[in-house]
Amino acid sequence: MAIIEVNNLTKKFGDFYSVQNVALQIEKGEVFGFLGPNGAGKSTTIRHLMGFLQPTEGQCFIKGLDCRRSTAEIQKFVGYLPGEIAFIDKMTGQQFIKFIAQMRELNDLTRANELMQFFELNATGLIKKMSKGMKQKLGLICTFMHNPEIVILDEPTSGLDPLIQTKFIDFILAEKEKGTTIFMSSHIIEEIEKTCDRVAILNAGKIVATETIADLKKQKSKKFLIEFQSEQELSRFLGEQLKIKQIGPTQAIIKVQGNVQTLLHTLADYKINDLDIISQSLEDIFMHYYESGGKES
Amino acid sequence: MNFTLLKHEVLATVKLFSIILAVLMLYIISIVYMYNPEMSNTLNKLTETMPELMSAFGMSNIGNTLIEFLSTYLYGFLLLILPLVFIIMSANKLIMGYIDNGSMAYLIATPNTRFKIVFTQAFFLVASIFILLSITTLVAILFSKILFPNELDLSAFLTLNIGLFFLHFAISGYCFFISCSSKDLRTSYAYSTGIPILFYLIQALSNMGGALGKLQYFTIYSLFSPEKLMTQDSSSIWMLGALFLIGMFCYMLAIRVFVKRDLYL
Ligand SMILES: Nc1ncnc2c1ncn2[C@@H]1O[C@H](COP(=O)(O)OP(=O)(O)OP(=O)(O)O)[C@@H](O)[C@H]1O
Ligand SMILES: [Mg+2]
Repeated sequence: MAIIEVNNLTKKFGDFYSVQNVALQIEKGEVFGFLGPNGAGKSTTIRHLMGFLQPTEGQCFIKGLDCRRSTAEIQKFVGYLPGEIAFIDKMTGQQFIKFIAQMRELNDLTRANELMQFFELNATGLIKKMSKGMKQKLGLICTFMHNPEIVILDEPTSGLDPLIQTKFIDFILAEKEKGTTIFMSSHIIEEIEKTCDRVAILNAGKIVATETIADLKKQKSKKFLIEFQSEQELSRFLGEQLKIKQIGPTQAIIKVQGNVQTLLHTLADYKINDLDIISQSLEDIFMHYYESGGKES
Repeated sequence: MNFTLLKHEVLATVKLFSIILAVLMLYIISIVYMYNPEMSNTLNKLTETMPELMSAFGMSNIGNTLIEFLSTYLYGFLLLILPLVFIIMSANKLIMGYIDNGSMAYLIATPNTRFKIVFTQAFFLVASIFILLSITTLVAILFSKILFPNELDLSAFLTLNIGLFFLHFAISGYCFFISCSSKDLRTSYAYSTGIPILFYLIQALSNMGGALGKLQYFTIYSLFSPEKLMTQDSSSIWMLGALFLIGMFCYMLAIRVFVKRDLYL
């Protein structure tokens, strides 16, 4: 049986569906990504898993326990990182860690200290005076310090600088090695690609697709911005059998799905000034799923 | 009950508690000090010159005994309002404060049930009010004993203070309920401050007597009657009972609402 199960989850605010018929099955030891733009309903789904919200319809289960009824029981083996983290401002980081540990009846702080070193956090200062990134690190420490079996992370890398983001990815991979089940939401495809086994894509409260990362990569198309030396060169190029969109007198965007070999061969015949790779945005992924019929759900 | 949380609340509240207590003690000591069996006459004259104003603050008949004197000067305004300030600030902080700033997520993401969390906070609020009023009562008794041995009617004074505690128990239940059920801190503060103040003003108006006297049926403060408590009038028993029931009802409702409500954390 799946370790995290979301069945037919629907939450309504008045007439507005914040999530609608969301279904997820996450297996033990899996790292599962949850992608979606702002307001898609990622946090809302996660809040249901934490038992914070009463579903309008449907249920969620973690290890077979109903998330709404056995909330406290579930927290024994779950670590949670809220999307909008807030602590008790008047405490220092260290006091807060100790406080949460005591609330968990956790006496052993070795893991917390290890994590503080790993994320390079000096937690001796007042939380009120910490930067956003420092708070995010503090949140991560509180999430992982009791060695949870299952971890639920709502946008774990927001506020972290690129260096720590990379470290975080290594950290998640190490946790995966240990067999931790991880469920994390994100806006950033790259981060999900590097860590997750599978991903669910959410848009406007509905799941558009659930895919393995390998499949996602296959679907993924690349875009190249090419600046030609002259307008003539570009107009000659427009005749090629490629997906070309002209965006300036000498500039065009070429979309390639799968193999880039053909593009490179073709380009060899042309005089170009510059070539840029445009990294794919979430929107492009959605467009892809919409085009391939993700709408019917 | 969660003792870690309880300990945290004690430390977080000790400052506010001490300030309120210090101000109360200062007033209590100076009012006891001001008592002078002969001087009551002068104050009675003052009341005669501006009866409406004095009676609005529950200072209509300044008695000749120490307890009547205390009840007039302390139990009509100071001991109603200052503990109310403490109640409003604590009740809002204990639940809505954590919800509004988001840190409630960390409290209920530990293996403690919501019931345990909210029960701890409710217990803390009731206990701190009880301790606050116990200390002020003790200080008043002690100081009276030192300055005016044998002047204070002890059993009447204790009944008076039990009544005061039940009053604040009921009001704190209401404030705690608001704190558990509001959508944000501002709404919570608005209702938990507005309604008790409104009740107090209605009480002040009804004290002026005449047609306004009918207003007494529209304020919880009517259930706290120093005169009836001091004389241990039989009707004071059901007043105490009513206050207790209101308080219990509010606390139970508050706990239930908090356990069931949606939290956007
Ligand atoms: N308390 C609420 N009342 C009404 N609508 C809400 C409430 N909370 C969330 N919503 C709505 O539900 C939708 C989903 O919100 P949610 O916070 O789950 O999005 P998200 O995917 O986490 O977005 P983000 O990436 O910005 O964190 C949004 O349209 C939001 O406006
Ligand atoms: Mg979110």
